[in-house]
Amino acid sequence: MRIQVRRTGGFAGIERHKEVDTSGRPDAHEWQALAEKAVAAGRVTPPIGVPDGFNYEITVDGRTVYAADPRLTEEQRRLISKVLKEGA
Amino acid sequence: MTTHGGFEPVFCTVVPPHVLDKLARNDDPALSGPARRTLMRDSELRGRRRVTTEFGLAAAPTAKAPSDQPLRTIYDAGHTTALPGTKVRAEGSEPGQDATVNRAYAGLGATFDLYLKAYARHSIDGDGLPLDATVHFDEGYNNAFWNGEQMVFGDGDGEIFLDFTIPIDVIGHELTHGVTQYTANLTYYGQPGALNESMSDVFGSLIKQYTLGQTAAEADWLIGAGLLAPGVTGKALRSMKEPGSAYDDDVLGKDPQPGTMDDYVRTGRDNGGVHINSGIPNHAFYLVATALGGHAWEKAGQIWFDVLTGGELSDRALFTDFAKLTVAAAKARYQEGDELQAVSKAWEQVGVRIL
Repeated sequence: MRIQVRRTGGFAGIERHKEVDTSGRPDAHEWQALAEKAVAAGRVTPPIGVPDGFNYEITVDGRTVYAADPRLTEEQRRLISKVLKEGA
Repeated sequence: MTTHGGFEPVFCTVVPPHVLDKLARNDDPALSGPARRTLMRDSELRGRRRVTTEFGLAAAPTAKAPSDQPLRTIYDAGHTTALPGTKVRAEGSEPGQDATVNRAYAGLGATFDLYLKAYARHSIDGDGLPLDATVHFDEGYNNAFWNGEQMVFGDGDGEIFLDFTIPIDVIGHELTHGVTQYTANLTYYGQPGALNESMSDVFGSLIKQYTLGQTAAEADWLIGAGLLAPGVTGKALRSMKEPGSAYDDDVLGKDPQPGTMDDYVRTGRDNGGVHINSGIPNHAFYLVATALGGHAWEKAGQIWFDVLTGGELSDRALFTDFAKLTVAAAKARYQEGDELQAVSKAWEQVGVRIL
């Protein structure tokens, strides 16, 4: 499973893009479960968020959904921070 | 914990919102234009309803004049994302051990002061609205934002960004999003969004200058100075004096802000480049302030404030609409003098034509 996260906006307006390929990883199942929940709660089009809030684009195996701060689900927040931290 | 429940916008149109969203991002202006206008009108209505409700609750029973003192409350999210978090400092209480809490408290006070003393505005709604801020939001959170009701500050990750309460102009910036919400309510997308951002940078910078007692010539005209971690190559996040020059770093990339319309950036990201193209009106303000000299909040700031709060600035205003209103405001307040000339010349220099 290929998970990509793109974060735009924010006070600084600086873009971040990271991705994780879960194939062959020992924790692939956890990533998969988290990604599925995060995507299920996503929106099909980008919401206009709050001033200076981050906007997120989550792509899992080619399917893209959108979310924005501060209205993220717990799973979305966890997935986003994991990918931005551990991804390449 | 957080879901979309209760926050899904109520649209009054027959076109489904996701279709409008998609159309608004179409490359063909004939398709994107009407869709964007519809979306903006809807968001305007939602904003109005929310503001009206808040006013209704706050102002109905009493008609007495708002206080000349702020009413600040600082909350600590304890590195979670639950808002507002635990109350840690109330108005009038002594500073505690946490420097972040104390900086937020002082920054809210400085912002309240500038708006009251320079422009006779009582708090962000003009009616004494209590000022709430949450610090230590999430873990290593590289951001600060205004959620429509309060300010939220992250600690930064320590690698790229430090604590977002460090620069006082960042605190002023967030609060000014509140002022804009209660006045022109500029739509947070495209040019009105870039104007919304620019208002926050302009008054954020003025709050810093006012606190330090600086003249336009003495000010650094930087947004977010002191926010970048020591290893980052840059002096701040934005420069009103020289947009595009704030940072150039391996990790952060290069400051993308244009200073004139020649370099205007067309993009769908960042809500249509609201943090990018704000460089253009930011630079126009810098040019007016330095041309006039002295304290920037007195004349240049007054003209900008008059336009923001005057009731004629549309929530869908473009740069040219805003520019035209600043010329009218300069004339109304200072007649045919240096002020009028400085304003007209500044817009000409940044390439915004006044029709």
